Amino acid sequence: MADAMLLNLVLFLPVVGILLLLFVPAKSEGTIRWTTFWVMVVQLVLTTVLYVHYDAAVPGLQFETRLPWIPAWGVYYQIGLDGYNILLVLLTAFLGPLVVAGAFSAITKDVKLFYAMVFLIQFAMLGTFVAQDLFVFYLFWETMLIPMFLIIGIWGGERRIYATIKFFLYTAFGSILMLAAVIYLVYSLQTTTGVTSFAFADLNRMQLPLSVQLVLLSAFGLSFAIKVPIVPFHTWLPDAHVEAPTAGSVILAGVLLKMGTYGFMKLGFPLFPDATRYLAPLIMALAVISIIYGACLALVQNDIKKIIAYSSISHLGYVMLGLISLDLIGIQGAIIQMVSHGLTAAGLFLMVGMIYERCHTRELSAYGGLAKLLPVYSVFFMILTLASIGLPTTSGFTGEFLVLLGAFRSAWPLHVAGDTLPLVFAASAVLGVVLGALYMLRFAQTFLFGAAKAPHAPVVDLNLREKLILAAIVAAVFAIGLYPDEPLRKTELAAKEFQQRVTGVPIPGSAR
Amino acid sequence: MSWLAVLTALAPENVLLAGIVVLIVMEIVTSKARSSLAVSLLAVAASAAAAALLYSGGYAATPFPGHYSIDPAGSLGKAIVLALALPVLLMSREDFAKDGQFHILVLSSLYGFCLLLSSDSFLTLFLGLEIMALPVYVLVLLAFKRPESPEAALKYLILGGTATAMFLMGVSLLYGGSGTLSISVFAAGLRSADTMATAGVTLILLAFFLKGAIVPFHAWAPDAYEGASIPVTAYMATIIKAGVLLAALRLFGTEVVSRPTDDLLAFLPLVSIVWGNLAAMRQTSFRRMIAYSSIAHAGYLYYAFLGDGATRLQAVLFYLVAYGLMNLLAFASLPPGNDDVSRDRLDNLKGLFQRKPFSALMIGMAMLSLAGIPPFPGFVAKFLIFKNVMAAGYTVYAVLGLVGSYLGIYFYLRVIQYMFMSADEPAVASRVSGRAALGAGILCLVPVLLVTVFPGWVLARL
Repeated sequence: MADAMLLNLVLFLPVVGILLLLFVPAKSEGTIRWTTFWVMVVQLVLTTVLYVHYDAAVPGLQFETRLPWIPAWGVYYQIGLDGYNILLVLLTAFLGPLVVAGAFSAITKDVKLFYAMVFLIQFAMLGTFVAQDLFVFYLFWETMLIPMFLIIGIWGGERRIYATIKFFLYTAFGSILMLAAVIYLVYSLQTTTGVTSFAFADLNRMQLPLSVQLVLLSAFGLSFAIKVPIVPFHTWLPDAHVEAPTAGSVILAGVLLKMGTYGFMKLGFPLFPDATRYLAPLIMALAVISIIYGACLALVQNDIKKIIAYSSISHLGYVMLGLISLDLIGIQGAIIQMVSHGLTAAGLFLMVGMIYERCHTRELSAYGGLAKLLPVYSVFFMILTLASIGLPTTSGFTGEFLVLLGAFRSAWPLHVAGDTLPLVFAASAVLGVVLGALYMLRFAQTFLFGAAKAPHAPVVDLNLREKLILAAIVAAVFAIGLYPDEPLRKTELAAKEFQQRVTGVPIPGSAR
Repeated sequence: MSWLAVLTALAPENVLLAGIVVLIVMEIVTSKARSSLAVSLLAVAASAAAAALLYSGGYAATPFPGHYSIDPAGSLGKAIVLALALPVLLMSREDFAKDGQFHILVLSSLYGFCLLLSSDSFLTLFLGLEIMALPVYVLVLLAFKRPESPEAALKYLILGGTATAMFLMGVSLLYGGSGTLSISVFAAGLRSADTMATAGVTLILLAFFLKGAIVPFHAWAPDAYEGASIPVTAYMATIIKAGVLLAALRLFGTEVVSRPTDDLLAFLPLVSIVWGNLAAMRQTSFRRMIAYSSIAHAGYLYYAFLGDGATRLQAVLFYLVAYGLMNLLAFASLPPGNDDVSRDRLDNLKGLFQRKPFSALMIGMAMLSLAGIPPFPGFVAKFLIFKNVMAAGYTVYAVLGLVGSYLGIYFYLRVIQYMFMSADEPAVASRVSGRAALGAGILCLVPVLLVTVFPGWVLARL
């Protein structure tokens, strides 16, 4: 029980943070910044304790809390950690202090509201991950929109209002259809089994006919696909990323985009396994299109934020590919890829923010030869670039390699059986790796090498705060790249469970 | 029943009546009735408390058999709606500081509302509807802050009269068929295949649609809402709407709506949801926008009648509480302006967060809740209604209604955008807003937080 309290504490710490901020006068910005930072650090420490104590050998929920919330509807406040969310919870808590520290110098307007919103989005994101009740999940899922809407809209760039309203309307449209599906799903559960419940565990036991599953998966899937985003539902993302302040971009790329893939993994695919298998070729095709299309668009951008935004679409395509491969290695690769992308994209966006604070432009062509001007910055940038490409020893390699391996492993038997399409998809996905190297290296080449130029020169190199932020991210990138065994072990049971649910047959085999 | 029992049974009504009498006497005796606000607040609070006591005691009685009866559900409705009237009265301090008439009219209207919830016959119901509505026609005119006010009042009066005529026509058809004025005839009419009964039921339903501002009978609402002053608009948007819906609830009872009435009951509200939300996007006046928003919300509320009879009361009451609180919160937090017209402009809200962060946060919360965005009460309320609609088998209407509600998100967001993301408008003379309005806001905020954090606890008590 004491363990369960710890998870509750981690979840509600941001709310405590907001209440603390209420008592700090809006004028004393330093106090606000440091209060937020230390609350986030405490949250990270507690989450690490949870992670260490999480027993990889035990299937199902750990640190579980279940309290009646709306008893008449069978809604329970139910939260817990499992193999699906443990890494993502850790990632969210890890990025929290970095986001806060990264915004110290960038945010000077309405500081109090800003950090309150960072707390709120942290609360909503953690809540979405740990929720084990569909109603609670939906509440957190939607609550996430409000702080992001304000973060982009208040502290964003010139076209921030267009971008933020587009972001909200896109994601809310998906959510409305998901809400309809949620109501229908729970109502079906009630009529077929007589149980009124929103608990994932109960919903997972339900057997629905394929036609119903298809409709419901489409509704859930659209909502998740917009969030991921999968091409062609991605057009909100570049606008949101470009206009968002650095902290907004980091949260968006680091955690928020994983909501979509997490939703598919935790809810979409396991709840509707028949429909998932039926639609697998389509989902696989969309994933591969996302990988290649995102990479191609990243190749031609001149706005450095847009390059990373489109690269996110490409990288999350791998996650989708890994999940839909329904191969254990692929699924585990997808989970690692989620975390890896969270780290590298967050790091790259932070670095873009740092250079933007110095030079006030995001045009790639305005820069050149930063390696000479900003040596420390350039080293960090190169490491993150290589991690993003997926160089061995970095987290990006672990993720992408496992995903591709999984995709081929599941495609080959089908090819032998006469269905070559999955193999074509898997092979096309490899093209994404090449394109990924191409656009990131083009970016790094223009940015770091060649004739030295930068607007508003002379520019000063990274200060200690910035170095520490980036060092933390780079350390995490290498940790996953060099010791992937530890996170893989924690998620293995969940990956197996996911595979078993969706394929319907228990398949023996190990990822390692 | 002894006269004492009658007095007890009608305690909420009697307290209001006493308040009205005191206010009239004060109006005659003293020239400046500054304490009329205190008297009316006291009367409404006491009346709400009396209704709450009757409810918690499970009191049921029939003081006037066949015409008037008290039951716990009715007492609960009275208690809730009377409590919602308190912030309205507080808000009026700015606009009607020295106006005893305002309070007399509001109390009379509330008296009519109480009659509605206890009526057993069409006669009492009709009396209640008219007593509730007539003072409001005057209230719209009473503000007289702008030249459009008389036009708005007249439009409201004429269309209200049309609704009354339709209602009476429907009642006479039902009476002709059954020979009784008991409202149970309406529920029976819902079941029967008799043409005359169906015609009567349809006419009465349309009258209620008109009173509740359902498309295509909605044209009066934007003008009336805009032409009135802020407290009066708040009163119309919350109390009158609640009165109309609860009266309809009394007629429908727990009767399951079947064909062909359900088509009418599903289709027109759906059109209202869509049209109200679409039209609200184009508005530049806050009250006009809220009027269109209320047209959409009337659609959700009438949707609740599609659902199973047993859960209907809970759904409607919860929605009315969430919706009423949010509207009142927004109206109470509106910043002051130079005059009524400029105060009402949406532009007046630009940069509000810089000037008055608390007001901006309150209005922002109200807008998100009205849009049905979690975690605010509006979401749970909407969820409850759509859950019932879907459980009743109207899946297509539920999905279309949800998509319709999506259309509304934009204009609620625009208000937030104005308050938080636009530069401060320097032209506005920033008068200090009254403490009464702040009190009204806090009076709404506390229950809002309660409903947000413990919706289950609240639902279990409805």
